[in-house]
Amino acid sequence: MMYFDHSATTPVHPDVLALMNSIQSTIYGNPSSIHSLGRKARSIIENSRKQIAKAINAKPSQIVFTSGGTEANNQVFWSMIHQEKKHVLASSIEHPAVLQVLSKLSSFGIEHDLIPVNSKGEMSISRLDSKLLNNTGLVSVMLANNEVGTIQAIKNMVEMLRDKNIKVHTDAVQCLGKMPVDVKNLNVDFLSLSAHKFYGPKGIGILYFKNKKTMSPFMVGGGQESGLRAGTENIASIAGMGLASEIATTQFENHISHLRDLESQFKSGLSSFFQHAIFNGNQNNKLPGLLNISFPGFRSDILLAKLDRAGIAVSSGSACGAGDIKPSPVLSAMGLEDTINISTLRFSFGPTNTSREIDFLLSELQTNLSN
Amino acid sequence: MGHITVGMSGGVDSAVAASILIEQGHEVEGLFMKNWEEESEYCSAEKDYKDALQVCDILEIPLRSVNFAKEYWDRVFQNFLDEYKSGRTPNPDILCNTEIKFKEFLHYAIDLGADKIATGHYVRNKEVDGKVQLLKGLDPGKDQSYFLYGLNQQQISNALFPIGELEKSNVRDKAHNLGFDNFNKKDSVGICFIGERDFKEFLQQYIPAQPGIMVKSDGTKVGEHDGLMFYTLGQRKGLGIGGKSDGEGPWYVLNKDLTNNELIVGQGHDHTGLYQKCLTASGLHWISEKAPTIENLNAKIRYRAKDAPCKITDINHKTISIKFEEPRFAIAPGQSVVFYDGDVCLGGAVIDKAYN
Repeated sequence: MMYFDHSATTPVHPDVLALMNSIQSTIYGNPSSIHSLGRKARSIIENSRKQIAKAINAKPSQIVFTSGGTEANNQVFWSMIHQEKKHVLASSIEHPAVLQVLSKLSSFGIEHDLIPVNSKGEMSISRLDSKLLNNTGLVSVMLANNEVGTIQAIKNMVEMLRDKNIKVHTDAVQCLGKMPVDVKNLNVDFLSLSAHKFYGPKGIGILYFKNKKTMSPFMVGGGQESGLRAGTENIASIAGMGLASEIATTQFENHISHLRDLESQFKSGLSSFFQHAIFNGNQNNKLPGLLNISFPGFRSDILLAKLDRAGIAVSSGSACGAGDIKPSPVLSAMGLEDTINISTLRFSFGPTNTSREIDFLLSELQTNLSN
Repeated sequence: MGHITVGMSGGVDSAVAASILIEQGHEVEGLFMKNWEEESEYCSAEKDYKDALQVCDILEIPLRSVNFAKEYWDRVFQNFLDEYKSGRTPNPDILCNTEIKFKEFLHYAIDLGADKIATGHYVRNKEVDGKVQLLKGLDPGKDQSYFLYGLNQQQISNALFPIGELEKSNVRDKAHNLGFDNFNKKDSVGICFIGERDFKEFLQQYIPAQPGIMVKSDGTKVGEHDGLMFYTLGQRKGLGIGGKSDGEGPWYVLNKDLTNNELIVGQGHDHTGLYQKCLTASGLHWISEKAPTIENLNAKIRYRAKDAPCKITDINHKTISIKFEEPRFAIAPGQSVVFYDGDVCLGGAVIDKAYN
């Protein structure tokens, strides 16, 4: 299988896997226990917290472990029911782990509005400004989009909101290792990460918070994570996430230059036999190694199935309900018409992809796009 | 051994069909088809999809999914409504096969790279003298050729029917042995998009009901009806005028008078108004592309009816008239008459009227 779907999830880095295996088989103490086994487990967690804090320029005390990006987002949004200002703004191309939570919260007194994006998937600050209400308490805009890779001007947005007493959350799960993620520079109040997007394990993530006073627990119980997330810690996964975040930042330059090489090889190869490709998203300001391409006249589900049969993994629009392909809401929000929308595939490259694999992908695409 | 796309419904029949093809050495993929855009307590697409996924996981084959809701609405459901508006009793499953399963689905599967498609229908096919024949399934209680009479040569020759030689009980045993969760899932009955819901309620969402009176053949009023479309010729239950112990037996629907919006009813299973020997039907289709010349022609007037001997009395390009040897009970316009030569399904047509 040639894997070009790294935005969906990534394989676990071998060093991360080795570390997790060794912890899983030897460190079984409960981090809340006072004895040496418990202390050992606890130190592993705190070491990981430091690694992650360093990777995003935060303090360790500003990191709470969660079960992933979805839970991190939920923790931020559900805390709104305790806030005075109960209106939330989010971009119209947020992940369902934001949009569905907001829909659910409407029956709990939390109202929200969506900020439209332009054809490149960029949210304009002035549009945001025009949607602010007196009781807007939170703005949530993803740092980079999972389908098209467009990077949002979060820093400018935060500056515009300064002095308005509005908190800012950014879902950054697609970003670590592919663009700088610096919470001080971004100056956001909350930021979500998920380990499996950067060669760590699934089922573990973090929520960064600027100020503990703004936080309330989503999972309540034994008081773990300074009372912010109850439940006995998933030590091996936490350790894996810590190491993965360290690798993501130390390998940052190599990683993105490799992704850019693969991307340009793919783009120029594709243009040699298919001139009608539409590249969605902001090509000048997007995540490296992620290409969202419409192939007018070809159905994405058929292309996907044929590539799958050839041993190639890519992804198409979001699969829904009984599994059939519907137009992607993200591309619809960017104004793409349905016929083009359902002709779209996402290619997302990773560090183990090679130039030869790109050649094979191109030759399979050429076969399937020539009739 | 070709590449086969199996239409996976989530039911036990298509699941076992896929497993048989794998045993035979074919390269198999599953394709789930969604034809109705509604998620409610009645519409089980989500559950069916999960059942199909469980089967494909066990068989280690991919399950893909496609949506033909628009095509189904335009080409099957509209006809269904039109037929009910005309007071007839349509059979949408027949159109679904010719227009969706063996047309849209087939084309889609071939676009995906399949050599042939396969379904879990209890029928068989074989090639004789350069033509393909459609044969009854070997389980006499499950034969589904009635629903497939509208298929043409190209459609049948592109299809495999792996369970056509099996009995339903064998199919369930096989599913059980393979660990399929759906091994004892109950057979779908009735019209797929209506599911378990109340038929009257469903139909009234689309067609306004016009209540009227029930009369005997001589015009005497015996009760009231909720709307002619809710009744089928030969229907006994649900007339609301049963229980009269006058010794003449239960009431049956004999006919519908659309002009006067009257439902004509009569008493007793032997009422002569319930039996006809002749019928005329249109939309005639022959699987072999030409009319049969055989002596011993049989016909079924509804899915569960027995084959009965008949003769063709008049035939032209698209319409046919036949006469049965013995009168048939409750021949209903809108249902199909399907012709057989022994086990071979020859074709059929949609009944327009019955008479003596």
